[in-house]
Amino acid sequence: MARSIAIVEDEPLIRANYVEALNRFGYETRGYGSRGDASTAFAMRLPELVIIDIGLGDEPEGGFDLCRELRAKSATLPIIFLTARDSDFDVISGLRLGADDYLSKDTSLHQLAARIAALFRRIESLKTPAASETVIEHGPLKLESERMRVLWNGIEIPLTVTEFWMVHTLVRFPGHVKNRDQLMREAELVVDDATITSHIKRIRKKFVALAPEFDAIETVHGVGYRWTP
Amino acid sequence: MTLRQKLLLVALCTLALPVAGWLYVRQMETLLREGQAQALVASARAMARSLVVVDAPLPPAGPAWYLQHTPVPITIDGYGDDWAPLSPWAQTFGSNAKVMLAEDEHWVYFSVEVRAPRRRRADAGDRLALSADHLIVSIASGEDAQRYLLASAAPGPTTAIALDADAGVLPDRINAQWQEDGSGFRVEFRLPRGLRLDHFGLGVHVAADGDTEPLSAETRPLIDFSPSLSQELGRLAPDGVRVRMLSPDAWLVAQSGKLDLPDLPASERPGWFASLVYRSLLATRFDAQSPWAEDVPRVDLPEVREALRGKPATAWRAGEARGSVVLAVAMPVQMRGRLHGVVLLEQPSRAVPLLANRALFGLLLTSFAVLLVAGGVLLLFATRLTIRLRRLRNAAERAQANDGRLDGPFPLTEAGDELGDLARSFARLFEAVGGYTDYLRTLASKLSHELNTPLAIVKSSLDNLDHAGLPAEAEPYLARARDGVARLGALVRAMSEASRMERAIAAAEAEDVNLADIVRGCAEGYRALAGGRRLEVELPPSAVFMHVSPELIAQALDKLFDNALSFTPPDGWMRIALRPTPEGADIELANQGPPLPAAMQGRLFDSLVSLRDKATPGDAPHLGLGLYVVRLVAERHQGSASARNLADGVAFTLHLRGLPRQRLA
Repeated sequence: MARSIAIVEDEPLIRANYVEALNRFGYETRGYGSRGDASTAFAMRLPELVIIDIGLGDEPEGGFDLCRELRAKSATLPIIFLTARDSDFDVISGLRLGADDYLSKDTSLHQLAARIAALFRRIESLKTPAASETVIEHGPLKLESERMRVLWNGIEIPLTVTEFWMVHTLVRFPGHVKNRDQLMREAELVVDDATITSHIKRIRKKFVALAPEFDAIETVHGVGYRWTP
Repeated sequence: MTLRQKLLLVALCTLALPVAGWLYVRQMETLLREGQAQALVASARAMARSLVVVDAPLPPAGPAWYLQHTPVPITIDGYGDDWAPLSPWAQTFGSNAKVMLAEDEHWVYFSVEVRAPRRRRADAGDRLALSADHLIVSIASGEDAQRYLLASAAPGPTTAIALDADAGVLPDRINAQWQEDGSGFRVEFRLPRGLRLDHFGLGVHVAADGDTEPLSAETRPLIDFSPSLSQELGRLAPDGVRVRMLSPDAWLVAQSGKLDLPDLPASERPGWFASLVYRSLLATRFDAQSPWAEDVPRVDLPEVREALRGKPATAWRAGEARGSVVLAVAMPVQMRGRLHGVVLLEQPSRAVPLLANRALFGLLLTSFAVLLVAGGVLLLFATRLTIRLRRLRNAAERAQANDGRLDGPFPLTEAGDELGDLARSFARLFEAVGGYTDYLRTLASKLSHELNTPLAIVKSSLDNLDHAGLPAEAEPYLARARDGVARLGALVRAMSEASRMERAIAAAEAEDVNLADIVRGCAEGYRALAGGRRLEVELPPSAVFMHVSPELIAQALDKLFDNALSFTPPDGWMRIALRPTPEGADIELANQGPPLPAAMQGRLFDSLVSLRDKATPGDAPHLGLGLYVVRLVAERHQGSASARNLADGVAFTLHLRGLPRQRLA
């Protein structure tokens, strides 16, 4: 039974390309050209993963509204934003609305497929009890690679996939400084330094919100970041 | 010249007011004087007539001999020393003689000085006396008259011999003194006053001049200062006027009254300044003051000369007392058509200067006040205008510094005057400029945004082509297409990078950091990248704490280092230095390399300016955003970025002052 993916994208050529490619990767993909079409379809049946373009036709923020609608329906539905707009503001808004990931249209179809696979893996592993998965533990930190979950003193920190991969990169070699390029490669993001910085900031905030004493991510000015256990 | 200064200059126009007033006051002063002069002329005319009517002892008409009064007796010795005080008023006679006559209580003295360079001498008793140099002297007293021959063959005492028969009371000899020098001879003699002489005649006969009438003598009446006439004048003279009677030869024959003014109280007395003002500003038409017009036997003044020609004349002089003027009127006295002399009335007065001064000072005070008020009003007006203009200017400057975008409403656009018009035009202009600037500014990001979609189409299509089972010979083309798309993507990203950076920089958060740590950390990171180049780090001994955004600083340093790396030769040197300054701190990155071209100095930190050579084919083009980011970071930290040439390289400096602290709400 193939997994169903919905792509909401107003540009028909791109939509067709993505639909065909994802179908080739073995997913059952549907494309929608506008927010209305998508909403109508989702009211009937929710897909298992949604890829949304932020600017939909004449609604520059239509993707965000759709994301909000979907989150109201399901808290666990994986949502990926896909857009030509890669400014900080959009990143932050998109992720604050509860998207699981955010990719620019630069991203190759292979990367996109890998992201989708990772998200489905995560959903799968969340459903099954943790058994044979790789777990990295550092003091209060517990990182479950399969489920893409991060726990601090047993409390789950709600990280997006991108943030998870960043933390993963830092934690795998504690004490090693990871520069921004490395973090970008690991998270398979192609964004600029400032975006990495804001990602790190958001990760810290998420940790601090649940564990005020958190200061494990250290900035090494001019080089990058490292995990200090 | 500022607007304010110009308007103040315009305010000087009010100075025309005192000038006009000054002219008016002068006119008034002239009128006052005219009135006074006319009054005095009238009284002078009345006096002249009265003198004739009352049969006052007027001086005779025609020329006369004047007897000066000598306070000391004169020694008869033929020498002129004791005549010295009287000599200025010596009466010339003929072409070659000077005559002086004087009197005291007992004697009448005579002195005749003749210029005769060529001499012929004989005594009076000599037969040849008449053909030698000689004087004929005639005197008369009442009915009696007598002529004398006066000559001398040698200097010394001599005797004049009477020529006529018995002449009653008159002596038949006169003892005289005769003295000579190279230029001529002098004769001196005296006669007792008891003779009551009333005429004196003189004939000067110099043999060398070819004399035809050796016995002739010219007889004129004798006049002197007459107390009786003075009394007569005193009776007729108006109050406060000095009256002097002058003979037809302008000799003083009578005088009455004084020129003194009643003393004023000190408060009323005009000060030296007031009198100076009067003399220099108002009464510029004073006649020249003759130093010989006071206490002299002969009053030789222009108005007197005028009167002697038969016409009344007036003159104004500065008075003796400070701030007073003297009006002089000379009126001829005529009897039966013959001129018997001149009455000279002199009236000193303070009223005219006082009035004129008062008027002038009042006027000056008024106009000064008007000037002050007008100047003040204009100054206020100009200040307000200047302030408004300055606001307009500042707004325009701000908008200009802001690349034509207004940071708020344009000032003065509500004003109804021309400045409001100007402000509205400015506002419209800047709106247009700002709109255009915004368009340009967002063009790149808009363009990149628009290009992203077709790029994504091409890219996803290429990805799909991979799986479409292309023949093997199509592979390289696919790879090339991917390459081209990747390059296009890089270009598009770079295009939107500037505006993205601006947003990121504006949103940066600050913390208190030791700048030395940042610089040290960055420098450590750069060592790996420097390759064979030498990298020196200069840090201050103490920590340099500042409220900054460390990420931004590090980013700016990255850009500077990246910049330096591409210009430094492979075995060159680089230096990172942190120096505390009074305002904050400077971070400098210097490197060996080619100097900056002078033309680029000002534009180095602008967006899309690059000094690098054209990118080698295959590289992404360099869009020159690095230094622009550096500038943005520096400006975000209330500082600036600058570049300068060193002896063997260049140095780029970040001047930082720290971010403004956020108020905790």
